[in-house]
Amino acid sequence: MNKWYPLLFGAASLTAGCAENNTADVETQQERDWEEIVEEAAGKEVGIYMWGGDEGINAYMDEVVAPALEEQYDISFQRYPMDTPEFLSRLMTEKEAGQQDGAADILWINGENFRNAKENELLYGSFASILPNMEEAVNTEAPYIEYDMGIEVDEMEVPWGNVQYAFQFRDEENPPETLEELFYWAEENPGEFTYPNVSNDTGNGFIRHIIHHVAEDPEEVTEFNEAWIEENGDEVWEILRSLQPSLWRNGETYPETLSQQDQLFANGEVSATLGFNEYRAESLIEQGTFPEDTQTVGLSSGSISSTHYLSMAFNTQEPEAALVAINYMLSPEAQIAKLDPSMWGEGHILDLNKLTEEEVEEIESLVGEEVVPQEEALPELDARYISWIQENWEQEVVQQR
Amino acid sequence: MFSSARSFLLLAPLLLFMILFVGQGLYRAFSESLHAGDNFLENYEQLFTQGTFWSSLQISVYVAFVSTLLSLIIGLWITRTLFRLFRTDQWKLAAWFPMLIPHFVAAYIIVLFFSPSGWFSAVLESLPLAGTFPVLVNDPLYLGVIITYIWKEVPFVVLMLLPVYQEIDWRMEEVGRSLGAKGFTLFRTVEWPWAGPVTAEVFLILFVFILGAFEVPALLGVTYPAMVPVLAFEWFYQGGWSNRPLAQAMMIVLTFFSVLLSFCLLYAVQRSRRKWMKGGKSNA
Repeated sequence: MNKWYPLLFGAASLTAGCAENNTADVETQQERDWEEIVEEAAGKEVGIYMWGGDEGINAYMDEVVAPALEEQYDISFQRYPMDTPEFLSRLMTEKEAGQQDGAADILWINGENFRNAKENELLYGSFASILPNMEEAVNTEAPYIEYDMGIEVDEMEVPWGNVQYAFQFRDEENPPETLEELFYWAEENPGEFTYPNVSNDTGNGFIRHIIHHVAEDPEEVTEFNEAWIEENGDEVWEILRSLQPSLWRNGETYPETLSQQDQLFANGEVSATLGFNEYRAESLIEQGTFPEDTQTVGLSSGSISSTHYLSMAFNTQEPEAALVAINYMLSPEAQIAKLDPSMWGEGHILDLNKLTEEEVEEIESLVGEEVVPQEEALPELDARYISWIQENWEQEVVQQR
Repeated sequence: MFSSARSFLLLAPLLLFMILFVGQGLYRAFSESLHAGDNFLENYEQLFTQGTFWSSLQISVYVAFVSTLLSLIIGLWITRTLFRLFRTDQWKLAAWFPMLIPHFVAAYIIVLFFSPSGWFSAVLESLPLAGTFPVLVNDPLYLGVIITYIWKEVPFVVLMLLPVYQEIDWRMEEVGRSLGAKGFTLFRTVEWPWAGPVTAEVFLILFVFILGAFEVPALLGVTYPAMVPVLAFEWFYQGGWSNRPLAQAMMIVLTFFSVLLSFCLLYAVQRSRRKWMKGGKSNA
């Protein structure tokens, strides 16, 4: 009979998984003093689910955030690299199974994925006002505090960083600076340009630029506008269809991910790559992945500015430690370190008026010349456009060869 | 009676495992694939009217069939010519080495060697006969995928066939020869009765595996038409999960046909085996 013990134990631990959880909910946290939360957080372990495909970002998390949390708050910080749809799907399964002890506490999320998580009740709750740094450091006047791609934030996530969409070219004296010029450049250099599959946010973002290009005024499309889509949708696809033959592999296929396109760019198969975060090429050049002559261009015809957020999972085991960790990531110290192009190098979400003079100086020395001036930034589109692009692109563009 | 109860008991852990994991997974996929409204098969109807699904199925069957067939032919040929050599462990290890490499690593190796910026292309360009290297990675004919599978599956075919070849009574060959058989007839009458059933089983294993495997076509395939598992993954995660039931329906259809195919093939093998055994007896 001895053989059966492991199996019985297995079954027992399965049922134990469904047991009541005794972690504090968000209402309880709101009534507590911040000091009390910090005290409770000490000695705990906290985990974040985040996309792990960028060396610079990973280095920032492992070499700046994790040691600081350990040192300042005695929290050990664990990074679980996973694509966003995958961890959401995992949380969904955990919710269906009634599992209260999730692996990770913090989520890196935005837009469509946030809507999905919010609608399926995969989030901890409205926690933003608990964090002291929201008051003391973050620019709470910015529009992205209230809305994330047209979705009401409801304090369920807090902004973590701000990035601009930009293009990288190699060995190019006069890189294109508007979308018109880019189309022309692509025709002149057949096979040298492409964009990732639109199931990928970078590829999807490229199409969102075309939508902005077709719309005369950004106002027309900031909110999801079905009438506009009806009328102008085909023009968007027409532009992409006429661009297709001059793309890499004559548009017969597209890179499945941004990493794949970066790889094509690095080994010279294409001469352009693209993506959110105007400073992302710097660390890649430094590592020798991208060539020295890589040039980053923001479009003067307008470049989408996108915000990404931190949120908490409904089944967090250590909500206190998660709150403290998120609060730290919003601090001027962490935000300034994040600007450093040798690691992550992306835009902050701080309010300069709330900072000390030294901090402001430090930011200015790190940011340097803006690739995309603020006035050329375009608002991010409503998340429903993303779905519209994903549902139609393959049929309207790829299959129309 | 005792022996059947005993064998059932011995099988119980495996059965339990199958029911717990495979059965439960299939049940969930099936229940998610059903439509909540009046027409509970709506998702299936939608699936079968989608051009994307059919082109995806077409390319998947093509890739799985070509890869499996070529792997079997090459594997059978290697086993036949080299089985005497394979009595020593070093040679066996050398032949089975690719099996130790995970499929996605194999796919990356193919990229490294065969992509337009890869090793072969560089070698070809450095030669005086400046020809351009054909596109073999992310190509619409899925040649890169097929090459990867052949490289990975040939050792598996050898692994499965080798014991068979080492068991064959080679005196039969001499008998055959003395009766005037040669070439293909010799192969058919001496080797095939042993190798055939195993080949059919290996065909089934490989075909179904390639039909359902994700990572190689994800790395080396094209955007359209994508192979079924890649399409399922896309439908599973895209667009606020609204296409999930469709992805589940597709996987159920695929599972159903895999099971059907296994049943037919194994039945045919059983029958031919029995016939052959009986034939042997009546002649004796």
